[in-house]
Amino acid sequence: MTPEEIGQRFTAFLEGEAIETESSYGTATVTVPRERFADAVTFAKTTRGLDFTFFDFLTGVDEADNGYGVVTHLYSPIHGHHVLIRTVVPNDDPHLPSLSGVFAGANWHERETWEMFGVVFDGHPNLVKLLLSDEFEGHPLRKEFLLTSRVVKPWPGAKEPGE
Amino acid sequence: MGLSDQVEVPQPIKFVLNWGRKYSLWVFNFGLACCAIEFIATSMSQHDFIRLGVIPFAHGPRQADLMVVSGTLTDKMAPAVKRLYEQMPDPKYVISFGSCANCGGPYWDSYSVTKGVDQIIPVDVYVPGCPPRPEALLQGIIKLQSQIQDESLKQRYAAKPAPELAAEAR
Repeated sequence: MTPEEIGQRFTAFLEGEAIETESSYGTATVTVPRERFADAVTFAKTTRGLDFTFFDFLTGVDEADNGYGVVTHLYSPIHGHHVLIRTVVPNDDPHLPSLSGVFAGANWHERETWEMFGVVFDGHPNLVKLLLSDEFEGHPLRKEFLLTSRVVKPWPGAKEPGE
Repeated sequence: MGLSDQVEVPQPIKFVLNWGRKYSLWVFNFGLACCAIEFIATSMSQHDFIRLGVIPFAHGPRQADLMVVSGTLTDKMAPAVKRLYEQMPDPKYVISFGSCANCGGPYWDSYSVTKGVDQIIPVDVYVPGCPPRPEALLQGIIKLQSQIQDESLKQRYAAKPAPELAAEAR
């Protein structure tokens, strides 16, 4: 199935919702409202013809004032096609329904996204720190997170090419 | 430690004891990252640190004399390193192998990396490099052995009271 056809299937499923589909580098990217994020993933997994039964990863993206993006990559071993399902949660209310009921493997990915970006996954069975030490404070992959070493000593090299 | 930290052993006996100790270093490899590969290369036939009396792959920290911390130490891992160090019997030595174990190395600004293993346990020899070549570890081992040959257990332990073991390490 081509990326365009995959996008059309999701558009038909979420008729009338704020949904965007695009194809980037041969992979379909579907942006859905956060209320329908778990529905879209369930649809992708259970619909015949799509069969996205392989959960690859789930992670976050700090999109500054736009909010926090959450993106998951699914793969279909039957058809060999991919899809990226993404959503955006606002900065002041970073909540999202958990996917761990759909894909059990999403459990640890959501814990990591929670500790790194502060996105709370409602309904997660065990939302505790995964990689960081217990006493760690803050969400280190947020752009606003201050690296104390960098405050004391600025980055010694160039940040951008040509600087 | 018994008597050896109470009285200075006579010089000929001290020489023999130190000589025996320096050529029988059971080593406990705390491999945390790519430097551990260099450590393993040093233990294999090409570089072969057994010819220096360093015996690799001690069965556990309780059988080891030397701990080589090779790789990136994170804050999450730090309590485990300290605990295993405390389980080693005295006299014990530590080689910090590679830039990450020395000072954090390329992760100097990271939120999760401990800036040097010497922040949690005492280090005898630092081996610089990213990662250091096996020859550098051999040089570090020879350096440690010359330190062991010259050391006095009385001076090493008399001034220092026995470390308070963490409750779970007993």
